[in-house]
Amino acid sequence: MKTYPTYILTRLGQFVLVVFIGINIAFIVTHSTPIDPVEQSIAAATQYGSTSPEAIALMRQSLKELYGLQGGLADQYFAFWRRILLGDFGPSLSAFPTPVSVLVGRALPWTAGLLLSSTLLTWVLGNLLGGLAGYYRQSRALRFAGILAMAFHPIPYYVVAFVLLIVFGYLWPILPLSGGYGMNMTRALSWGFIGSVALHSILPVLSLALVGLGGWFMGMRSLVSNIVTEDYVAYAELGGVKRSRILASYVMRNALVPQVTGLAMSLGAIFNGAIITEQVFGYPGVGTLLVSAVYAGDYSLVLGITTVSIVAVSLAVLLIDLCYPLIDPRVRAR
Amino acid sequence: MTSPVLAVSDLRAYYRTSAFGVQREVRAVDDVSLAIQPGEIYGLAGESSSGKTTLIKTIANAIQPPLQVLAGSVLFDFAGQRFDIHALRPRELAAIRWKHLSYIMQGSMNVLNPVRRVRQTFVDFAFRHIGRPLPEFLDVVRQHLQRLHLEPQVLEAYPHQLSGGMRQRVTIALATVCRPQFIIADEPTTALDVVVQKGVLGMIHEVQRALGSSILFVTHDMAVHANLSDRLGIMYAGRIVEEGRTADVFRAPRHPYTTHLIGSLPHLGDAAPKQGLPGAPPNLADPPPGCRFHPRCPRASDLCRRDVPALETDASGHRVACFHPATESVAESIS
Repeated sequence: MKTYPTYILTRLGQFVLVVFIGINIAFIVTHSTPIDPVEQSIAAATQYGSTSPEAIALMRQSLKELYGLQGGLADQYFAFWRRILLGDFGPSLSAFPTPVSVLVGRALPWTAGLLLSSTLLTWVLGNLLGGLAGYYRQSRALRFAGILAMAFHPIPYYVVAFVLLIVFGYLWPILPLSGGYGMNMTRALSWGFIGSVALHSILPVLSLALVGLGGWFMGMRSLVSNIVTEDYVAYAELGGVKRSRILASYVMRNALVPQVTGLAMSLGAIFNGAIITEQVFGYPGVGTLLVSAVYAGDYSLVLGITTVSIVAVSLAVLLIDLCYPLIDPRVRAR
Repeated sequence: MTSPVLAVSDLRAYYRTSAFGVQREVRAVDDVSLAIQPGEIYGLAGESSSGKTTLIKTIANAIQPPLQVLAGSVLFDFAGQRFDIHALRPRELAAIRWKHLSYIMQGSMNVLNPVRRVRQTFVDFAFRHIGRPLPEFLDVVRQHLQRLHLEPQVLEAYPHQLSGGMRQRVTIALATVCRPQFIIADEPTTALDVVVQKGVLGMIHEVQRALGSSILFVTHDMAVHANLSDRLGIMYAGRIVEEGRTADVFRAPRHPYTTHLIGSLPHLGDAAPKQGLPGAPPNLADPPPGCRFHPRCPRASDLCRRDVPALETDASGHRVACFHPATESVAESIS
């Protein structure tokens, strides 16, 4: 029988393995693209005038050093890992010479703030409402909520996002159309800035929540309506246990176990979601950065974003897995 | 005779469904009357679909649609107070549950919440009735467990860490910790193997002696009834067909159905295989007219096909619903 520390160690091992494989794939993919960042930089630098061949050779040499492209593939591979462990992804091509880590670091809080919070918010709200709807089947309001959730769920995300933009940004302009904060704001920890950020996040969060809510709602509702028929719920009702306690600790608690797994999986999809959401709402996050990096052929930036997202997603899933035994004690014994 | 702790009179509970305008009625409990005295173990026997479980659901007021109580009453007498369980408000019902009336349920393997420690389950069920601060309450629980020869450490366990027999013992401890006056036990040993079953039955008997509770003990297993019950009621197709002191029922069954139930028990030295009772229990949505047992009864007459026999009480308090009850000699020759 495994104990909790063994469980933690195995999960940590899996985490390291997943990150290792993911980053290797990122290395292989970026090294097999036809875009050569060094030649692109040289082309960009020399397009407005001629430079002597010696200067170009010198430039190529130093650029290769910057991008870690000297030597054979094996040398490059080890150099790549050494730099990743040091957190150095080299300079960005499109925003030369700003380091990739600075660009990613600037964009990451926006994405994390917007998508993580809206994913968590949707999850909590959807499970709460779905659980109530499964337990109080007679409630008219909850039945109506179910119909609403079912109606919104199958609509493609970008349609909802654009409709919201048109309604609240154009027809009835009460909310900003794009951006992460007001143009005239300085980034400071002031009430005005925080308020502006909150105002700008309403539409993206609303669009994500409207589409995401239905899935959690319906999943939780059907889980709960199964659990309500379990012996331990019937027994607690016969035992006169308080209804609020039955709902929270007997019904919801048991239904939550598979939903937590679902949350871990949807966290993995955050960076996919980021690309569309941030494009539609012009949000200054990692998704926007990634799209512009791909357009610009910004090899090192793409690699940096990929690596950071692999680590971030694996870390989120690891954290949830480590919490899992607290939710389901049966996992501890396995 | 003292007043009974439970008096069920003329209880009628049907499952009523209507789909596309077609009414369907399953007469699971039909005109059942019984009384259980303080400190008595009343056994309820009968095959599957005889209405045993519906009867206890109705007695416990665990009534979910489509089940409906059409007539009759269920009266409890707890600490000198009378409670009509179907007339109580939810709050009053919750005050009785577990304090006076508790359950040991069918499928006891799954009655403990898998994500809660046993200690938390005890708190959920019993804390509000004991009326002491938490540490003292847990002391009461530990003492109770020790009385039932259970280690107090089971409180810190999760249900999946306990064996099936252990879980059933914990459930019995849970059902008796508030010293209830009435316990409903629905097939509590059916899922256990015979060795564990013996231990669990001994435990139920012991705790019943200690608390002086009454138990309504339901099982189809006649061997269990023979060992445990003081009085025995036999149910067939939603009705009680015979009732009497367990020893009398086993020694001299009067109703032909009871005769067959008892005849099904194996005896040491049996040479021939047991004969099954031909036919199947009737469809309760469309029960046969007259005595519901008559299609399978070897002694059926025209009278049985036409009229419903009443449950008649004889001088010794033995009750039987049959137009042609067996005399003792006949009963013995069959069994």
